[in-house]
Amino acid sequence: MSIGASPPRIEAADKATGRACYVDDIKLPGMLYGALLTSPHAHARILSYGVEGARAIPGVKAILTGPDLKTPRAGGIIKDESMVARDKVRYVGEPVAAVAAVDAETARRAAAAIEVQYEALRAVLTIDDALAPGAPILHEQFSAYVQSVKGGGHANTIFESSLLEGDVDVAFTQCDVIVEGTFETQAQHHVYMETNGCVADVDAAGRITLYATCQSVHHIQQRVAEELGEPMAKVRVIATRVGGGFGGKHASNIHSIAAWLARASDRPVKLVLSRMQDFEVQRSRHPARIWMKTGARHDGTIIARDVAITTDGGAYADESPPVLTFALMMSRGPYRIANVRARGRAVYTNKLRAGSFRGFGNPQASFAAESQIDELATKLSIDPLELRLKNAMRPNDTAFGGHAVPSCILRDCLVAVRDAQRSATPLPPRPDRRRGVGFAAMSHVSGLMGTAAEVQLRTDGSIALSTGCVDLGQGADTTMMQICADALRIPIDRVSYAQQDSDSSPYNWKTAGSRSTYMTGRAVAVATVAVRDKMLEHAGEILECSTADLELRPGGEIGIKGVPSAVTFKDVALRSLFQAGGPISASHGFVFDGPPFDPKRATIHQLAFQNLGVYTFGAHCVEVDIDEATGAVEVRRAWCAHDVGRAINPAACEGQIQGGFVQGMGYALTEQMQWNSEGWLTTVTLADYKVPGVLDCPAEIHPIVLEDPEPSHPVGAKGVGEPSLVGAAPAIANAICHATGARVRSLPMKPERVLKELEKRT
Amino acid sequence: MEFISPTTLDEAYRALTGDEARCLAGGQSLVAMMNLGLVSPSRLVSLRKIESLRGITPRPGGSVRIGAMTTHAELAALDVPNAAVTLLASAARVVAYPAVRMQGTLGGSIAHADPAADYPVALTAAEAEIEIGSRYGTRTVPVCGFFRGMFETTLQQGEIVIAIVLPPAAPGVGAAYEKLSIVAGDFAIASVAAMVGNTANIAIGGCGPKPLFAAGIGVTEDALSAAGKRLAEECDPPSDQRASEGYRRKIIPTLVRRAVRKAQTGIKAPQ
Amino acid sequence: MNNVFPIRITVNGETHEVRASPSATLLEVLREKIGLTGTKHGCNHGVCGACTVLIGDKLARSCLALAADIGERKVTTVEGIAAGRELSAVQRALIESGAIQCGFCTPGFVIALTHLFAHNPRPDRETIRAALSGNLCRCSGYVKIVGAAERLAEARP
Repeated sequence: MSIGASPPRIEAADKATGRACYVDDIKLPGMLYGALLTSPHAHARILSYGVEGARAIPGVKAILTGPDLKTPRAGGIIKDESMVARDKVRYVGEPVAAVAAVDAETARRAAAAIEVQYEALRAVLTIDDALAPGAPILHEQFSAYVQSVKGGGHANTIFESSLLEGDVDVAFTQCDVIVEGTFETQAQHHVYMETNGCVADVDAAGRITLYATCQSVHHIQQRVAEELGEPMAKVRVIATRVGGGFGGKHASNIHSIAAWLARASDRPVKLVLSRMQDFEVQRSRHPARIWMKTGARHDGTIIARDVAITTDGGAYADESPPVLTFALMMSRGPYRIANVRARGRAVYTNKLRAGSFRGFGNPQASFAAESQIDELATKLSIDPLELRLKNAMRPNDTAFGGHAVPSCILRDCLVAVRDAQRSATPLPPRPDRRRGVGFAAMSHVSGLMGTAAEVQLRTDGSIALSTGCVDLGQGADTTMMQICADALRIPIDRVSYAQQDSDSSPYNWKTAGSRSTYMTGRAVAVATVAVRDKMLEHAGEILECSTADLELRPGGEIGIKGVPSAVTFKDVALRSLFQAGGPISASHGFVFDGPPFDPKRATIHQLAFQNLGVYTFGAHCVEVDIDEATGAVEVRRAWCAHDVGRAINPAACEGQIQGGFVQGMGYALTEQMQWNSEGWLTTVTLADYKVPGVLDCPAEIHPIVLEDPEPSHPVGAKGVGEPSLVGAAPAIANAICHATGARVRSLPMKPERVLKELEKRT
Repeated sequence: MEFISPTTLDEAYRALTGDEARCLAGGQSLVAMMNLGLVSPSRLVSLRKIESLRGITPRPGGSVRIGAMTTHAELAALDVPNAAVTLLASAARVVAYPAVRMQGTLGGSIAHADPAADYPVALTAAEAEIEIGSRYGTRTVPVCGFFRGMFETTLQQGEIVIAIVLPPAAPGVGAAYEKLSIVAGDFAIASVAAMVGNTANIAIGGCGPKPLFAAGIGVTEDALSAAGKRLAEECDPPSDQRASEGYRRKIIPTLVRRAVRKAQTGIKAPQ
Repeated sequence: MNNVFPIRITVNGETHEVRASPSATLLEVLREKIGLTGTKHGCNHGVCGACTVLIGDKLARSCLALAADIGERKVTTVEGIAAGRELSAVQRALIESGAIQCGFCTPGFVIALTHLFAHNPRPDRETIRAALSGNLCRCSGYVKIVGAAERLAEARP
């Protein structure tokens, strides 16, 4: 049957032949091209605009500037943004104006011809500068912003949050060994191969249809409608094939601009970012400073951890509150540490906003936490893997915050990677290189927010499945079809899967948070079973028996148990459509309903989540070669064990694990967004911002997919999209230390940085 | 913008009048710069159809003349018993990526003169000569006089690189090219090209506006160590996104030593 | 304003007459003038490889090739790889190996692998990795792409 098989993705042939349609492939009659004018200042007041020169250029059809905006600010938990700057610019690259014109070149020229007068203000580019007394305040009106969770507002603070279990201060007095350190992580960029963009069309009544590469049609619809000041019914968003998201396309920056221009010009408008602009205009991962202190007894029982995390949120709040919250939640690590205090603050700076990116605060927290486990192991003279095994969470433990965790095979993951590395044929040593082995453990979640699915029976017994879950390339389309097909015991090619369209797709929060297989997959499973039950009722009428006597047979049949006679799904469909009952369909929707935070266990202050859970676990083992003369680090092999609950499509799980590991390796070793002293992002091409190519990656990345069914999912599945990124950096840092004794505490671990730490050794 | 595609060098020279006329060789640097808005030539003169710019010709006396429009891929595939050719081929193999190597040219690359590029360093260590042509005739310049600074050569308006000449093979000489970069295919943080016989001729790349050349370096451990330190002090490395000035100075002695030792393994015993 | 002039260009065996500026890249002309959108625009500065095509029998980044300079050389894009509905062995290998995720890099890899196997019927892992070194993929970590090529190499007689 379907689940557990790895059928090729349904859209793979389209992708391999160049037929798959991405946003930039769309051309509509009369389509205009949008271009942005962006801020050259990191922090400045806008004094005036001069658009006459631009307007006079032949072919220019619409111009947008701040004064044209009539709606309040938009955004996530803190509504601090607008589609183009109003009154003030807060980062170099912030969209200040936009133009729609008959071709891309004219639009660019016209945008460049808009004259904006600024009064430059002092800018703050680092956390410390932003928090210093007397620092210029980015959002003077912060207290007037709409906020669904209030948590910031003083001294450039976006949000503050804390999570506490037990009594950390007392526990430290009981520790025999304590390690303490500060870790720094950098801004990473998603570098999806397809840059962000959309095509906005408008009808005679002014209704907008947006074709968008995005992570949620419903979210984009909501944001665009809000920014246009319209009911959502007047905005339609259709997802095109998405060329990667990784969190960077989860929210809307530019869709409202395209929609506004389409309205103003009464023509379709295409706005697709160049690679340079995508670096400058979208979002990055949060740079972070993590101070951590961990204490244990002689026997290796870890009993205390104290954490303080400060994240650099850039100029707009975006997902800073939930990323901070999640980083704090993950800072205990997947261990039974009884006393943990985690406090954090997200800070505004005059740089590109930081937001959602695969891992969502966990990579930052785990770089520190898993490095520190190894430091503790060294001080305790205990093997680092043994120390992890000793303290690892077990089934029915609680996560930090008090969630019950029924399914937990972390120990199996740790043992799997340890054993896999040990039994692998050793790689011959290389001259001039030191070999090291490093481990990391991780946990993550895969359930949050709301989703729904709808299943319909067609005239010939085929099934039409519809969800709001946008496939970013991870294979969600195929996975949903497999779940549906499996529940009905039919081949996948009898299931059609609808494109995500806000006019018709059931609600889905976003493709994010590793949640699609658990949340939407669960909705699909339940809705499919409901359709099955309705079909059984019809079959019972046709066959004149009780539904209890019926069984589903492979290939779309329903028969009486022990008796050859059967009816087909088609028979049932025809009956329902022409005789009795009416068209058969079912839907199922739910909002995450897992065990809540436990206020008796944990003291929670301002968490930016209602609830989330369905914990997954994993472990990584890497072998690295270090060139001690240059500090160059090469990852030779990796083993990544992940507990996915149930692998619906094992090849897709493996692909996500391998891809996540490499993206995490880039985070660990080569990727870094850099700004100069004027606040200009200097890494704006792929020549400057270094994404791993095949030669930078180990030829062997062994995914180990482990299954331990999640009880709350009909098929037992959990998520896998994010955790594989989380373990890479600490595993590599631990391997470097194992090889050389040098402990690198900041990312990326470029050769120069590693060499500096190597030289510090006595 | 005007586009001209001559079939002879004379036509090309005539087309190259005016400040804003530029040659288009493989386009791997020029078109990238045009796409990024960094250059906007008013006239492009394609060299693609000029046959006399192609071909690799051994000369009497043993030198090798390589036409300027020879691609990196063609150079990388060369296998002749001449250490200078070996050195150039080693550099060609690590330029950028396969698609760039199949289109990019030797002439185009050296005329661009990126301080972090691979050919300038290799050609400097090999003591090559650059043949330059214009409507006024041809001139030959030793490589050390060709590279003047960052993206700056001795080429005047109206001049085209037409060939590179490598010296004849010397017996008992080996060559190697050593490059450190953040990711594969990237420009070098620093690179070293070495031609090694009884002594070593060394060029350092990525550590100054043009390659730094040192000849006649002793090949014992002590001599190499001393030379490495001296070269690290003498060069003029930048601090940029890839690395700091201090780091570049620090690793030069290692790269020098490694390049020389690797070159020595390639020395064929005299027949 | 950029002047446009007629350019004749043969792509996938068909000759097209388009009007384009001398500074138009092959990528622009393929996508905007000829309507072949399979070749992707990933960076426009010659690093990502999503725009990879064949010019003659050589790999090329179409974002770095000027359409005006193509001349009589024959261009092959991803749309020219399959024979009608019959996918090539490279395409089938990528599909069957689970090597395709978001698919945006896939056309470039199809071309790069097609070129590899045209010149080297049984490449080893190192040769495959070197041949693919100019194509970025952000989804897969490359392992299954290389695996698809290895399986194809093994299947060859």
